[in-house]
Parts: sequence; structure tokens; C-alpha cells
Amino acid sequence: MRDDERALVERAKRDPRQFGALYDRHFQQIYRFVYSRVREQSAAEDVTSEIFIKALKAMPRYQDTGRPFAAWLYQIAVNAIADRYRTLRPAQSLDDFHDLSVAGPALEDLAAHRDELRRIWTLVDQLPAQQKMALVLKFQEDMKIEDIAVAMGKSAGAVKLLIHRGVSRLREDADALRPVE
Amino acid sequence: MSMNHDPELDDILQDEELARLAGLLKATRRAEPPLDDAFRSALRRQLMQRAWGMGEVRAPWWQRLAGPPALAWAGAALGILLIGSVVVFTANQGPGTNVLTVTSPMADAHAVQLQQPILVSFNQPMNHAATEAAVQITPATYVTFSWQDSKTLAVHPSGGTLAPNTQYQVTIGPSAKTLTGQPLTRPATITFVTRPAPTPQPSPRPTPTATPVSQLTGEHRLAALPSGAFYAPQWSADSSTVYFVGDNGALESVSAAGGDPKTLVPDGVSYPAITVAGDRIAYVRGGNVEVMTLADSSTVDLATASGVSALSWAGNQLLWATASGVFESGANGPGQLTPVAQGVTVVSIAPDGAHAIFQSGPAFSVADLAANTSQPLAGASAFLGWSPDGSRLLYATATGTAAADTQGSPIGTLPAGDASWSSKDVVLLGSDTSVSEIHPDGSGGTLLNTGTYRQPAWAPNGSTFAFVRAASLWTATSPVLAPEVSPLDQAAAVVTQFMNARLALQQDVATTFLDDNGKQAYSSSGLPLLVNGAARFTRDYIVMQELTGQNPRTARFVVRLVLSRGPLDVSEYDETLTLVRAQPSQPFLIDQASADSTRLLDRGPEVVSVDVAAGSMKIVFDSDLVSDTVANGVILLDKNGKQVGGQATYANRTVVFTGLALTPGADYKLVVLTAVQDVNGRNVHGEYDLNLIGPVVVDVIATPAPYPIPSPIPSPSPSPSPSPSPST
Repeated sequence: MRDDERALVERAKRDPRQFGALYDRHFQQIYRFVYSRVREQSAAEDVTSEIFIKALKAMPRYQDTGRPFAAWLYQIAVNAIADRYRTLRPAQSLDDFHDLSVAGPALEDLAAHRDELRRIWTLVDQLPAQQKMALVLKFQEDMKIEDIAVAMGKSAGAVKLLIHRGVSRLREDADALRPVE
Repeated sequence: MSMNHDPELDDILQDEELARLAGLLKATRRAEPPLDDAFRSALRRQLMQRAWGMGEVRAPWWQRLAGPPALAWAGAALGILLIGSVVVFTANQGPGTNVLTVTSPMADAHAVQLQQPILVSFNQPMNHAATEAAVQITPATYVTFSWQDSKTLAVHPSGGTLAPNTQYQVTIGPSAKTLTGQPLTRPATITFVTRPAPTPQPSPRPTPTATPVSQLTGEHRLAALPSGAFYAPQWSADSSTVYFVGDNGALESVSAAGGDPKTLVPDGVSYPAITVAGDRIAYVRGGNVEVMTLADSSTVDLATASGVSALSWAGNQLLWATASGVFESGANGPGQLTPVAQGVTVVSIAPDGAHAIFQSGPAFSVADLAANTSQPLAGASAFLGWSPDGSRLLYATATGTAAADTQGSPIGTLPAGDASWSSKDVVLLGSDTSVSEIHPDGSGGTLLNTGTYRQPAWAPNGSTFAFVRAASLWTATSPVLAPEVSPLDQAAAVVTQFMNARLALQQDVATTFLDDNGKQAYSSSGLPLLVNGAARFTRDYIVMQELTGQNPRTARFVVRLVLSRGPLDVSEYDETLTLVRAQPSQPFLIDQASADSTRLLDRGPEVVSVDVAAGSMKIVFDSDLVSDTVANGVILLDKNGKQVGGQATYANRTVVFTGLALTPGADYKLVVLTAVQDVNGRNVHGEYDLNLIGPVVVDVIATPAPYPIPSPIPSPSPSPSPSPSPST
């Protein structure tokens, strides 16, 4: 955890009224992650509210483990989304969330593979829940393995295994993943 | 692959194809999701409001004393002592009281009872005049004030009741001050939603008896109880036998119907707890936790435990608490489930073993034993009991009884009393003067009898209960009262189930309440069956209901759908539903549906209820109105647009037309013009029109419903209405 964030966290632990600074810093990131999973605006608002209210309530008991504060928020988010998924399946297309162009000038040669990208993320969505969450946190949220472990309540080794199995399973569907000419 | 190279993946995905896939996944940009800035701001406001309620978390005194700042200031303290001698009176201000906080047992509650004041609690003695002047309330409401003590303000609606089905926002402005002149740094807002009004009675009914008559049967005195510690009596699984602690701590059993008690353990028993199956009973005796198998009275010493403060079964697992922790029985002997901090007492362990009630000084909290976290129980002065499944709980507050979930979030406010939660989700409230039943959300309160009914404890059957009267243990039985079901009640039940299914986004279930015409009305080209959007459909209520046809039986409902953002209601619209059934043995189905346009809330007074009878009509608003604006602002028209019924009378948010002679089946229209103004000077935002049909006169129907009715609307028994009082 960076020193400036550590100071914000310590202040909010002592005085919950200081939580606003943490909210301002992490709202966009958490909302975007939640939306990517529930894909419906009002549901995303519900779940995001739940996450930050839980975080605020639990703030006095937050333990600094050296990992980013966001990893803890993701942990609450992962659980909240899992609760949501028990009763509601996302209905919106993946295309509405994942911009299926690719980033960076070095990737211009991949820009033609929108179909492949779409199919990959469609297949990610069909993976077992734990594998799917590990891949989303790694590739979509760009998190470190150790932070994913915090968010998912697992060991780093277990997360690595989930990622390996998830990507391997994607490869198995070679036909679906073959680049479109 | 060079793109977005992530060294962490090198040892996980060594295969080239796996690395290529990883590169593709990592290269996908995330599109920005739709985001309502109003939501972002509203959530921040909500969080800050909660944070202010939580106040500053202070470290324990020994940590503060040992901290570097404390040492640094130690020398300066000597000088301060001199000053302190001059301002010694400030020593009465204890630690933690420097931040003025505002709380209310009604905050965020739903189904709040109408006949109660709005309680606002401060953590410091307040300047009464300044605080009262700082109170703002929406919808516009005349109020008076009283102080329960120097820190607790009661805000009384002058009309005697709160408006039904209304979201209130009570704001304490920054001009509120403590007795020492400290202002509130920011406005604090308390938000809650009231319960529906009592069901209107459009048809003649048997007159309820005015004299209270006991609803209880079979009261039996079972045994004398010793003075001193009282332990809740334990029930056998079949509700036939009561186990209790008698003289000298003897564990005794007695038939619930009366008879001679039988001694199971001669002395020294405390904290008895029986399994759900009723086959074993555990207790503390002589510093040991013992378990007796009731079939053969054999006992087993399970563990040595001193200072036990709670003991409970969770299935076949026995849990108990001491000053050092919560323990559980196991195959290899007892084990500690969770430690307990110094100064904390475990008051009770939930029936599912997942939670416990912790007390630290005067503060109570509900602890998650697995996660080792706890949530405060706001305003709790005593713990009263768990729901049988352990998912909800009851505790006493300064003003009554609060029902909450295991996160400490309120789910209802109930009257004060000794409480017990039944397997049928009914709360029994006993006192020195009466016993009553009530739903956990505070609805459906029924007085069962007057007299002394202390420490009630439901039996597993949910109808028999034990209680204490005059130092003796008694039992009584509360009969299940079959409600009289009118056709309108049956139709209302269908409407309620239909709306509940829509609230739960259960399209298939909702469709079962529609006939072919109804399905057409909610087809893709008609009304939306599931209400989705940025503003959530969060609640609904019936504005008007009437029987409009006898053969076939037809009922008409105007249902209001309320849409919210976060905790705040923001808009609403009305649907008019016509329900039909061909035969009394058939259920009502929704045959026609229409909707008016959406209205924004908090823009002026709103009609929340219309009761229609052949000879009268009552229109209830959510706000106190300027009475002079009502006479020409609320009118009733016939189908030709001719005004009928003369001028209306107005008192206590309610407009009444009397002397009507509405023709059954004829069309009428209630019109509320924008001339109508609330006491804050705001006019009705847009003309409100309500089409209605002259109600048919029906005979008393006492036939039971041919299908289950899930208590859709408040009990048909009349509730006391307040006597009108002049506005202040």
C-alpha cells in the first residue's frame, strides 16, 4: 500500500467521516468492475452501494496487510456479486461492456480480431465461477496475483492454478478461438 | 509476446498459445459503463450521513496513553492542570462526546407505525429551543415537540398520526446546538417509510366488540418460580412439556397443561438449553457443562467452564460462552470458536450458532462468530431474543422494541415489552398489563389479553406459550384467528402477490395473475411487467380499491409504484387494475390494466389514499394542507363533468365528502387541482385525476378464500384513529 493511501486509510479507521476520500478514490474502479459483472445499471448501483456501505461499517476493523486498499474493496465486491448472481443472471451482451478493439499502437495487427476477442470473453463468461473471477480480476482489472488472492480469499498458488486452468480451458475450444480471417 | 507483458504470468502460462490468449485478454479495453452522476453523489451523501452517525472511533485509553503523542504531551499536561482547575466543570464532558451525533431508531426503517412520534437522539444534552427550530420535515407536516430526556427529542405530528405509505425525511439543521453551545457541523437527515393505512371498509361488517375480550385459551399455572436469576423455560419439540429451573436451581419438567412437576436434576442448574429435536437438554452445573439425554436421564459432563454467560444449541452442536471466548463441543472435546475481548460479555448465542450478542458497557452488538466481526445494535438497552432460525433478533430501546437483522439493520419498530419470536414469525409482547401479538415489521398488532404476562416464551408449535405471573410459571394458548375474507380482500391478495412478483423480478410468477386480456395489457407493446431502469422499483401500495361489479364479481384497484435511487424515493406512477372472477370458487385475475404518467416526488403534496363508499369519500394526503385551498381544489365530478357532493371538509391531511349518493357502476372522477397548497407553501405540482366507479353494495361474505391468502393488507380490524386536533 502506498504511503498516501495508508494515511487515508488510517484516518478513515480512526474517523469514519474521512471515508469520503477513499470513496472518491475507488468509486469509479469498483463501479466499473461491478457493472462488468452484473451488466445492468440499476443492479450495478445496488451492488456498489452495498459494497461501500459494508466497507464503511467495517472500516474500524480494517487490518493493513500491506496489500492495496482496493484489494479489500474487491474482496467485498466479489462476495456481493456472488450473492447477486445467486438470484440474477446478467442479461446484457458482453459487447456492451468490453470494447472489443484492442489497446495500444503495437496491437494494430490485432484490431481485425474483434470476433476472436468477443468469443474469448464469451468463453470466459462460461468458465466455472472461480476461474472466471480469477481471469476477470487478472486480465480485466489488471490486478496482481497477491491482490487477487486477497479479493478471492485464496492463496496466491490457488489463484495461479485458477488462471492456468481458466486459460487452458479457453484454448481447448480451439475452433471457437481460431482467429477469423 | 511483447504486448502488455506481465511477468507474473510467465511462470503460469509458459505455453506460447496460452500466453497469446493471455495477451489478447489483457489487451481488451474496458468500455466505460453508463454512470449516473446523481447516483455517485447520492451514495456519497448516504455514506457520509452514516459516517456521521458512527462518529469518531477512539482507540482504547491504554493505547492512547501509550502512544507517542500522549508522551509528548505529558509535560504540557502539568501546565494544563493549572488551567484545568479553573475550567473543572468541563470534566463532566466524557471522552467521545466532543462530536455531536444524531441517531434515530426509525432511521432507514420501513413499515413504520403511523401512531408514534419521530424520535431523534443526540449524544449530548441539547438546547431545546435551538434544536426544535432546526427541525425540518418533508412532506410538509405540522408538528409539536417534547423531550423524553435532555438528549432525546420526540417530534409529534399535530394530526396525531404520520401519513401512510409515505417516505419521510426529517432533517436536523446545523443551527441545532448542545447545551454548551456546540452546533451540529452538518445537517443530519433521518429517512423512513410508513406502513399502509388500515384497510378501508367499503362493505358492512359485523361490528367489532368494543370491550376487550381475551383471545387466549387454556391458561394454566404450572409451578412456583424462585426469586433471583430467571432462565427462559425450555419447550419439548412437541410443545407438550416445559423444562424450567425451580427452587435451589433444580431442573424440573412439567406438562404444559398442568400437573405435578418432575425433578430431573436436584440443584445447581443454570442456563438450560434444549435441542430442537427435544431429545437432550444442556445446562451448567457445578462449573461443568452437562448434557442430559431425556429418554433415560443419563448425563454427560461435556466440559469444565467457569463463568458461563450463554449456552445454546445449534443443531447437534452445543455452544457456550465465558469471559474468555465462545466454545463449541466437538468430537475431540471442546474447542474455542472465537475469543472474546476483555470487558465484553456474550449475552446470547443465536440458535443457528452463527452469531452472538456482545455487550461492552452499555453498548450491544451482534457478532458474526465465523468472521469475528460485529455490528452495533443502535440504541439497544437490552437484548430480548432471536428468531427461531437465528437470522433476526429483537432488542429493547429507550422507546420500545426494535427488530433487526444480523447486520444490525432495522426491520421494524414494535411496542415495548418482554418479547418472544415464534416459528410462525409472530412476536409475542408481554408486560405487567397486557400481552399482544405483532408481526416483526411492526404490522398487525393484536391485543390478546390484559393482565400480567412477563417473560413470554413461545412453544415450537407457535400457538402455546409460557409466561411468568406472580412469581409462578404459566402457560396459555393463542388461537390462530381465521380472518374474515371479503371478496375485496381476496382481490387485494391477488394484487399484492402480483406486485410482489414484479418487485422480485419474477415475470413468470407475475403472469400467473393475468388472464388473456391482462397478458395483452402487459405485452411488449403495453405496460412493462418488470420495471427496470436507473431508478429502481422499490415499493408499491394500494391507493384505492373498490368492488365495482357483482356478476361477474369485479374489483378495481389503483396501485402506486414508487421508484427510488439509493434510499430515496424519486418518482412514482399509478396503475389501474381491474380484476374479474366468474365464480366465487375461482381466484380473481387481472383483466385490464392502464397507467398514468410518471410524477417526480418531493414537488408538492400528494394523494396517498382514497376510500370510496356509496355515501362518502375520504382522500388522504401526505402533507398538511392550507385548508382554505382545499374547498375549491378537491372536487368530484360525474361522467358529464358536473360537480357532485358539494364542498369537502378538511382536517388532518384528510379531505372528506359526505352525503354522496354515488350510483353503483357509474363513472366519476376525483380531481385535485394545483390550487391545493401544503403548509410549506408548495402547490400540488400537477392536476391529479382519479377515475372511479360508483361502488356496488355487497352483502357480508364470510366464506373462506378458496386459495391461500398471504395477509396482503393490514388486518381488517379497525385501529384507533386519533381525534382531530388543531394544527399549530
